[in-house]
Amino acid sequence: MQDILVYIALGLAIGFLVKKYFFKSKKKRKCDSDCGC
Amino acid sequence: MVSNKVVKVALIGNPNTGKTSLFNQLTGLKQKVGNYPGITVEKKQGICKLNETVKAEVTDLPGTYSINPTSLDETLVLDTLLNENNSSFPDVIVVVVEIENIKRNLLLFTQIKDLKIPTILVINMVDQMKRKGIDIDVKQLEAKLNTKIVLASARKKIGIEELKTAILEYEKLDITSIGKITNRIDKEYFTRLKNAFKEFSLYKSWLLITQNIEFDFLNENQKKLVLKYREDLDCIKRYQHKETILRYQIINEVLKDTLKVDKSKASDLRGILDRVLTHRVFGYIIFAAILLFIFQGIFSWATYPMDLIDSAFANLSSWVKTVLPKGTFTNLIAEGVIPGIGGILIFIPQIAILFTFISILEETGYMSRVVFLMDKIMRKFGMSGKSVIPLISGTACAIPAIMASRNISSWKERLITILVIPFTTCSARLPVYAILIALIIPDKRVLGFLNLQGLTMMVLYLLGFTAAILSAILLHNVLEIKSKSLFVIEMPNYKIPSIKNIFHEVVEKTKAFIFGAGKIILAISIILWFLASNGPSKFKNAEQFITSKEEVKDLSKVAIQKKIASYKLEHSYIGYMGKSIEPVIEPMGYDWKIGIALISSFAAREVFVGALATIYNVDSDENVGTIKERMAAEVNPETGKKRFDFPTGISLMLFYAFAMQCVGTLAIVKRETNSWKWPILQLVGMGLLAYISAVIAFNIFS
Repeated sequence: MQDILVYIALGLAIGFLVKKYFFKSKKKRKCDSDCGC
Repeated sequence: MVSNKVVKVALIGNPNTGKTSLFNQLTGLKQKVGNYPGITVEKKQGICKLNETVKAEVTDLPGTYSINPTSLDETLVLDTLLNENNSSFPDVIVVVVEIENIKRNLLLFTQIKDLKIPTILVINMVDQMKRKGIDIDVKQLEAKLNTKIVLASARKKIGIEELKTAILEYEKLDITSIGKITNRIDKEYFTRLKNAFKEFSLYKSWLLITQNIEFDFLNENQKKLVLKYREDLDCIKRYQHKETILRYQIINEVLKDTLKVDKSKASDLRGILDRVLTHRVFGYIIFAAILLFIFQGIFSWATYPMDLIDSAFANLSSWVKTVLPKGTFTNLIAEGVIPGIGGILIFIPQIAILFTFISILEETGYMSRVVFLMDKIMRKFGMSGKSVIPLISGTACAIPAIMASRNISSWKERLITILVIPFTTCSARLPVYAILIALIIPDKRVLGFLNLQGLTMMVLYLLGFTAAILSAILLHNVLEIKSKSLFVIEMPNYKIPSIKNIFHEVVEKTKAFIFGAGKIILAISIILWFLASNGPSKFKNAEQFITSKEEVKDLSKVAIQKKIASYKLEHSYIGYMGKSIEPVIEPMGYDWKIGIALISSFAAREVFVGALATIYNVDSDENVGTIKERMAAEVNPETGKKRFDFPTGISLMLFYAFAMQCVGTLAIVKRETNSWKWPILQLVGMGLLAYISAVIAFNIFS
């Protein structure tokens, strides 16, 4: 069970990073200081 | 009275007249405000409820001195006002002027009035009228300017309801222009112009031909006609000059009977402060002393809460291991997620202190004096005094700083500013510096009162600034771009900082740092933990391999467990990855574990500390205290010395000072320069500089 949870967490982490850096939202955002760097 | 509709309102004014404060009061939003010009570089929108049935869509436009744009942010204002198809084209314009600078601020108002759009004049900061000995005859001024005037103080919430009422009744406003300027410049010329562009108001036609911009909303014939008129450039320049003189004559005439300033009541404190703070010697000494005080504060005051957070996360990690059932997911939480997140939250105190100081400097009005002070120097380096604001904003994050460079009128100065901003020490570097300084610089006093760690931090900030300046000189000489430079800076009044504004600013900046970076760090921590906790056959057989060795038979159980943990990490997936880049990073004094942190922090610098925290936690057979303790305990197996010794620490700090380790910044540079050439140049140039300096520093100090 714990192994399954680890793989889910890993999948979510990879998915999040791929989405953030490779599939940026086309929606125009107002960037103030929330830059994520 | 309008009903069941949305009134489009544009907020316009000179820089630093308090437009954004007014915008926040009207819309209930919390856009950044500051007591220095150029905060708003792009238009911002919000909704304001005027009454039960009518709402206003308020657009906060960048500050501009006139509607003759000299920079990108000012062009935005002109496009919004001239293009009736623009989604923000206003039903009513609210021109914001500041009580002490009414005369200069009214130039823009008179231009706006000529556009024949209903206009309201807001005289802001009226709470200071009495103290400054200023008296205004509002009724008479309204009559002379053909407008509705609202006396307001956005900071003190005065006049907001009156302004809402005035917006509601905008259809009643008089749109007659003031003084019939065009007739007084050259009646015949302007009659011809009026006949040429019958579909537009006369002043709009004049603006179309005087601006060197291609307006997309014009049809082909209109574009041709505009170009034809623009051919007579001398005439246009002459008439523009005449227009400005005439406008000021009218303003003087209007204000002669309506505005009274009793100089004897006005305090001269501003003059005295200005003379001292912008003095060609004392000005720089004071600025340096303020910076020194800030960095002393960051180290001296943040130590206790930082240690508290660090211990809390170390304890949480141990507690989770004892409470949750044993297994891989528990290990992920205790060894991967908690240390990774702890590695970022620990820096909240330092970041909050830094932003508190920066907000105070902005709020008091001191920042504009710094811009003025630095202009002469910056000009020698190919930048403008206005570059100082982006460079200082860069201490928070390079992304808004690069956007803040939009108010620099010269393209060359703006490009140089954009290219050198990433050298400024941003908040993402702070965690890296803070942990390395704590490890390699002793916590002792110099000259009896200066904290050596704080002093080192200041040197690193100055190093970033110096690197920016030197790169600017290089770029100034290399880039073959010709462009005109214009420097106009508003000197705002000194103000007692608003605690609410400072609190809001600090909370927002800290939140942005935590949540922006936190999600990335959490994701990377999970991946790193997985890669460090799994591996091919050697990893799986680690226990069998170590225990079968002759030399471990005499060791204690704890020592054997430690050897197994180290062997496992070395033969994990991440171990192999780190080992593969070791030859490249070895000349800088780094081992494969640091290499892993270096790769992980390419996306965002602050990941470095969280990554090391995860790696050293996995490396350990048990939880052995705080991140700092774990890093301090790490030993180089070849030399037997501490891994984070002086040469490696200095080498790492230099690497992070110069390397372009931020994907977000690269993306924004591409957007602002509209080319991949410049971000690639930054990435390669800064990377080479970082590598070479780190290698040299490591070899000198070894």
